[in-house]
Amino acid sequence: MDVAAWIALCSPAVAVGLIALAGERMPRRTAGLVAAGATLVSFAASVVCLVALAGRDAEDRSEVSTVWTWLSAGDLNVGLSVLVDPLSVFMMLVVSGVGFLILTYAIGYMAGDAEERRYHAYKALFVFSMLLLVQGGNLLMLLCGWGMVGLSSYLLINFWHARRSAVEAGKKAFIMNAFGDATFALALFILVQHTGSLDFDVVFARAPEALGESSALAILVALGLLGGAAAKSAQIPLHTWLPDAMEGPTPVSALIHAATMVTAGVYLIARTSPLFELAPSISDLAAILGGVTILVAGVIALVQTDIKRVIAYSTMSQIGYMFVAVGLGAYGAGMFHLMTHAFFKALLFMAAGVVIHALAGEQDIRRMGGLAHELPWTYRFFLIGALALAAIPPFAGFFSKDAILASAANSGGLGWTLWSFGAIGAFLTALYTFRLLFVVFRPPMSDFAREHLHKERFEGPLAMMWPVAVLAVLSVVGGFLQVPGLWHEVDDWLGPAAESIEEATGVTAWFSALAALGLALLGIGLAWRLYGRPSEAPARLRARRFTGWFAHAFEQKLWFDRLYDFLFYRPASRLASGLGRYVEKPLFLTTLTDLGASVRGLSGRVAAAQTGVVRGYALMLAIGLAVLTVVFLLVS
Amino acid sequence: MAGPGIAAYLIVSVILFAIGAFGVLIRRSPLIVLLALEIMLNSGNLALLAFSRHAGNEDGQIFALAVMVVAASEAVVGLGLIVAMSRLRADLDVDKLTTLRG
Repeated sequence: MDVAAWIALCSPAVAVGLIALAGERMPRRTAGLVAAGATLVSFAASVVCLVALAGRDAEDRSEVSTVWTWLSAGDLNVGLSVLVDPLSVFMMLVVSGVGFLILTYAIGYMAGDAEERRYHAYKALFVFSMLLLVQGGNLLMLLCGWGMVGLSSYLLINFWHARRSAVEAGKKAFIMNAFGDATFALALFILVQHTGSLDFDVVFARAPEALGESSALAILVALGLLGGAAAKSAQIPLHTWLPDAMEGPTPVSALIHAATMVTAGVYLIARTSPLFELAPSISDLAAILGGVTILVAGVIALVQTDIKRVIAYSTMSQIGYMFVAVGLGAYGAGMFHLMTHAFFKALLFMAAGVVIHALAGEQDIRRMGGLAHELPWTYRFFLIGALALAAIPPFAGFFSKDAILASAANSGGLGWTLWSFGAIGAFLTALYTFRLLFVVFRPPMSDFAREHLHKERFEGPLAMMWPVAVLAVLSVVGGFLQVPGLWHEVDDWLGPAAESIEEATGVTAWFSALAALGLALLGIGLAWRLYGRPSEAPARLRARRFTGWFAHAFEQKLWFDRLYDFLFYRPASRLASGLGRYVEKPLFLTTLTDLGASVRGLSGRVAAAQTGVVRGYALMLAIGLAVLTVVFLLVS
Repeated sequence: MAGPGIAAYLIVSVILFAIGAFGVLIRRSPLIVLLALEIMLNSGNLALLAFSRHAGNEDGQIFALAVMVVAASEAVVGLGLIVAMSRLRADLDVDKLTTLRG
């Protein structure tokens, strides 16, 4: 099992090395196949781990495999190790499984791009980083994966580096993620100081004593971890990078910003759940951040006009649900939603990618319309994804979202508040998802679409279509893994790693499920009323301007970007230019130039003594010797 | 043992050394400069022999032999340089070799 875990981790890294070293010698398509193949190997190895783990007793399902001690300082020893337990295997399966489908899709999507090989290498690097993150056998390895995921997402977002907006989006994502990395690292410092270790089991065993329940230290640690989780998972207030990250190629959006990276925060909270349980206020804070994000991202998604940005805001909103779940302690429900979300969100992104591909790179939904007839399969896949996202039974999203809502309903006062957030979120989700669906696919066809639509043999390349189909199937059946009230496969499986709270049963559960379903259907109905009727797409979008000020506020994304610009960017840039003008220029630039000039002048004069006449040198030598002799004689 | 004392030998050695050093400083022909150098080395030899005799052991003599070897090799190298120099430029004048001027 250890070997399988290491194979799962290393095979994408090997692929990166191969593609990077082979360079031009490797055909472009082969590079894509190597990357996808390596991920498939990872997936197979993950399945082996799953089978091996399932064959053991529930208490015995955790194993750390250390290759060697990587870092040793005093009493602190950190090994290069991987952890195989139910939680990490669960994530490995999601990451490598969905990752494999997306990498295969990318072969078709990126075919013909000038720098295809680099792209596939980055993708494999990303899968490796993500696997390192979920498999890391101690908190330091987890942090390494955390940082590398940030790096590879930066590389992928500004993959089209000639595009200024892509480069800026990449930098933004990197900086916001670095902020989270920093708070995460600070939390680890506190843990090293007080527990003297970074191994999961040691830290969790010593933490209650070393930190204390609800102590300032425990709160600081949990807050640091939450900072990292919120930045990586694009939760308010560290969310602004995610919509901009849509500048990257669409498979990147699917891989990073839907299926894997943004869910890392949820994984982190589930993984370090003992630390969060020591600081209940921070757990609640995580749940509240999630609840607020559900609503804010939901309303912003209502007015976005870029097909990928709508899905991006939807991602934020869905991760909000997961944060609510893990914040309240329903780890099983959170991870379950993580999995189904990975299925249907990757499906939506990839179906959107097919649309973008068919429309020569256009992403603005105001120029789309009426594509259902031209791209019938894409339409069906998108519809499945939309139904799953809107949590309509029997699609996957229903079961996972219902599990979260039922768990929230069962956890008292705060739980009910968050339940209501989630229920409103369900309405918003259905509304924005079907707005997108209707505007893009319902007739009539827009002029732009008529002009630019170019289909290949099969709506898109075959490499693109079959992963989408697989994901569509998973989005339909994935939900039956856990049916609230009936069976709890995910909860049971994850139990040894992170015990979940009970979810509501009986009347509460029925009420919760029916209310959410009703609200979702209401959302779909409203979307039909507003956008479903045939008319020109721009006109339909204009008709939805419900009230001026609100719509404006949502279109401006509630001014988060402006606020950060005002709070951080401008003071920093002013400080920097001030320092440049008043400190660097007079103090360093001028002084250094003067210093250099005077040294040159002096050495010019000294150089004059170097006449090149040998006899002169000999004379100097003789005089020097004479002077020395006289001095010695006088002294002695 | 009869004969002049060590002081006389040393005085001769100093005079020889001064003659050699003066030659090095004032003559411009490289051949003469080399010759003057030999005089300086031999004045050193004379002083070594005198001290050897004075001390009553053979250390100085052996050292003088070593100096001769060095002097011979130096003469070979120096003459070789002078030949190379004369091939490169017609006149042999050490003052004109100022390529290394700073």
